[in-house]
Amino acid sequence: MAEYTNPDVLVSTDWVTEHLHDSHVRIVESNEDRALYTQGHVPGAVEIDWQVDLQDQVRRDYVDRASFEKLCLANGISNDTTVVFYGDRNNWWACYALWVFKLYGHKDCRIMNGGRKKWQLEGRAWSNERVHVQPGHYTAPEQDGSIRAFRDEVLKHQRAGRPLVDVRSPEEYCGDRLHMPDYPNEGALRGGHIPGAVNIPWPLSVNEDGTFKPAKELEKLYVNSAKLKRRSPTIAYCRIGERSSLTWFVLTYLLGFAKVKNYDGSWMEWGNCVGVPVVKGTTPDGAPAAHS
Amino acid sequence: MNTVSGRIDGVVGEFADLDGREKLELLLDFAARLPALPPEYAARKGSEDRRVHECQTPVFLWPDVQGGVTRLYAEVAPEAPTVKGFVAILADVVEGRPVDEVLSIGDDLLERMGLAHVLGILRTRGLRAIVGHIKRGVLAASTTPHGTPPP
Repeated sequence: MAEYTNPDVLVSTDWVTEHLHDSHVRIVESNEDRALYTQGHVPGAVEIDWQVDLQDQVRRDYVDRASFEKLCLANGISNDTTVVFYGDRNNWWACYALWVFKLYGHKDCRIMNGGRKKWQLEGRAWSNERVHVQPGHYTAPEQDGSIRAFRDEVLKHQRAGRPLVDVRSPEEYCGDRLHMPDYPNEGALRGGHIPGAVNIPWPLSVNEDGTFKPAKELEKLYVNSAKLKRRSPTIAYCRIGERSSLTWFVLTYLLGFAKVKNYDGSWMEWGNCVGVPVVKGTTPDGAPAAHS
Repeated sequence: MNTVSGRIDGVVGEFADLDGREKLELLLDFAARLPALPPEYAARKGSEDRRVHECQTPVFLWPDVQGGVTRLYAEVAPEAPTVKGFVAILADVVEGRPVDEVLSIGDDLLERMGLAHVLGILRTRGLRAIVGHIKRGVLAASTTPHGTPPP
């Protein structure tokens, strides 16, 4: 595999520079640290925050359809707008925002390959001016259930022996720690992983400059080594569904997997559920690793 | 009032009446004013466990107590300006004040500054953990003979 399955879903920093004033394109920044956007953003880019804008502030869920439509309107996004996401931390929140836009069926979503990091490394201009946009026109459909997995479905999937990818750090996967290194413990009562899940930590998909690894390397990692199959329904999970959005993006768009779902409940749900299967250790079934 | 609680009231007043964007801009102003870590502390970064493990980006804190008064030395990675700004505020607030005043900092500081709803639930929880971290550090420093907790 020499090329990504959907190369158009990634745009370069050059492409973004050329389209800064394109009225069909909206550049959207999504970050771990909100103040980064305030400090400086790609000129003309709006900010959509994963916590404050995309999540319901009362229920543990995403904003409903009406709120999503309102969010798009306010950010000058119409149904036919090309939305280009980028952000800090190797674009993981950008991929998360893209996934939520896909939940609501937004057609043309892309990622600026390399995110903030690459823009910075290349010495491109930042702006800290307030961005004012013309309101968009937006009608969203109901959520697309084909890319989001809920707990009961994950349980059935696991019982059927179908593929699961755990994208957390090896320490979280084997159950030694309950949260990612240096991240707040948001309260899982049990550590370990869903039986059968292979561990492919998400950073393995990205290069030092924040860009995605070439198709050949991703293929080697997910298909040749981990034995995931393009046609098998596959579920990715992490802690709260943010890192697994990046893996969902890689599998779906860069490697052309047909049926990948992100389980956004992830370990912060599974690790607190009563009665669900959990195993500890470094192998998918929890057995001690074989030593040769 | 030049006490911890008086200074907090002052900071809360500065943040009052600002919109979300202005609050983040003010936070960035504070972040820019966080003094660099003195060389003697920077040299100890690798050998002492001063990293705040609740934070995703590198954050190093030295809550210090000398002669009964508090001082906070800190280093926060530039990719976390929100954390850096908040730590800078806390450093200003505790500077030169007695331990009991530092321990009285309330859990509702971010709500009072109006930052909780700008940052969201998870980020607010992460920043609140820093206040707890500083209080624990100050308490530990105040109960050791030389004012510095053991590594």
